[in-house]
Amino acid sequence: MLIHENMKLADVIQHDHTLVPIINRFGIHLGFGNDNIAEICQKHHLNIDFFLTILNAFHDIHYFPKEQLQRFPAAMLIDYLQKAHRYFLDDKIPEISALMDKMAEEYPLDETTFRLIRNFFTEYAQELKKHIQREEEKIYPYVLYLEKVFLDGSIDEYLRNQIRSYPISEYESEHENMEEKLFDLKNILIKYLPEPRKDELGYQILRELFTLEKEMNEHARIENLILIPKVKAMEKILKNKEI
Amino acid sequence: MADIKSMIIIEKHYLLQAGTEALIQEIPGIMHVKSYSGDEPHLTAIILKHKPDLLIINPFSLSPENAALPRKIHSKQNTNLIALIRKEERNQLSFDYSEIFYYEDSKYVLEKKLRNKIGSQKNEETNHKELSQRELTILKQIVLGLTHQEIADKLFLSVHTVNTHRKHINKKLGIKTVSGLSVYAIMNHIVKLEELANNAR
Repeated sequence: MLIHENMKLADVIQHDHTLVPIINRFGIHLGFGNDNIAEICQKHHLNIDFFLTILNAFHDIHYFPKEQLQRFPAAMLIDYLQKAHRYFLDDKIPEISALMDKMAEEYPLDETTFRLIRNFFTEYAQELKKHIQREEEKIYPYVLYLEKVFLDGSIDEYLRNQIRSYPISEYESEHENMEEKLFDLKNILIKYLPEPRKDELGYQILRELFTLEKEMNEHARIENLILIPKVKAMEKILKNKEI
Repeated sequence: MADIKSMIIIEKHYLLQAGTEALIQEIPGIMHVKSYSGDEPHLTAIILKHKPDLLIINPFSLSPENAALPRKIHSKQNTNLIALIRKEERNQLSFDYSEIFYYEDSKYVLEKKLRNKIGSQKNEETNHKELSQRELTILKQIVLGLTHQEIADKLFLSVHTVNTHRKHINKKLGIKTVSGLSVYAIMNHIVKLEELANNAR
């Protein structure tokens, strides 16, 4: 389904409730009333093309934004991505950590094994944090600078070098290792842990891991589908100007 | 787990493309499906680069530029080729496909055909669930932090052999990362925690 501006946001959420954390990042919270998307965007001072692009990219894996890409600034996208990062690091990871702490009581595990599984998740969380830091400290500032130069047109030596040595394709492939760790953790829970005393906790953790995996994939898709093409397009135009 | 990891569908009609994708999503173990409509420029090069394990293709969807694609893929790489056609078109196939999906087939017939393809690619060795003695030895070395080269030197094997063992271990256990393998190895008493601690990098 292609989400468009005349749809009521409530209908969209009825259809796909996994979009709730996404609209939250735009400052829209449950209890938002009966307005359609255009009206809601106006109320919240949101760029409607941007809002629709993000919603559609999350909702439909086949969605590909074309001309809409040019209708909002990269700075807006980066602001959004950083909010998503906070959601992963400040909400999701602590939530799952807390559930995993409970495993000590609910699973017949000796201290060592419990520590090991716990550390496995901690390692995952640390890697995620490092990855996010690298994006926020290295890549986003570059993109913001690129966009600034793109708009006011004063390309300098620094940017010239950056464009030449730009690691954006590197950045594209970096998400894979993170996926593998999650995959392993799920399989350890499914196949190799001893039976829990109560079933609920195992299922709860597993559900959270599947959700996290889905959300991380979608997040990576937004970066690969929207951020990278935008950056590449700006780089190309700037390079052509040079010649 | 099936050996087939990536699959590509070439079919110009959206409904058929989406239907084929939906069918594939029901089979566990397939990691990646991508669809094309058949008229994309340089499609042969794209597919050759992708190296899918399985290619489901409607040869009549191909634009003239891409018409030679099935033959080229067949001669160049180890891809399983399945044709997707109407029954009445079967005599027009210019090529020996390893399987044919007919528009008229029922869901379960298609599923069975698909499973057969996936099954036939399965390596005999990875059908066993338990690790072999050799694999246990290698798993232990991996968990202790040795590189594949070091393991090869230590056990008088080629690096290639160690890589193959590693792949089998990953597949049998469904665990890919070294830290995941460590959890498994400790839980199953393949290594002791003290050994791990001594070798901590």
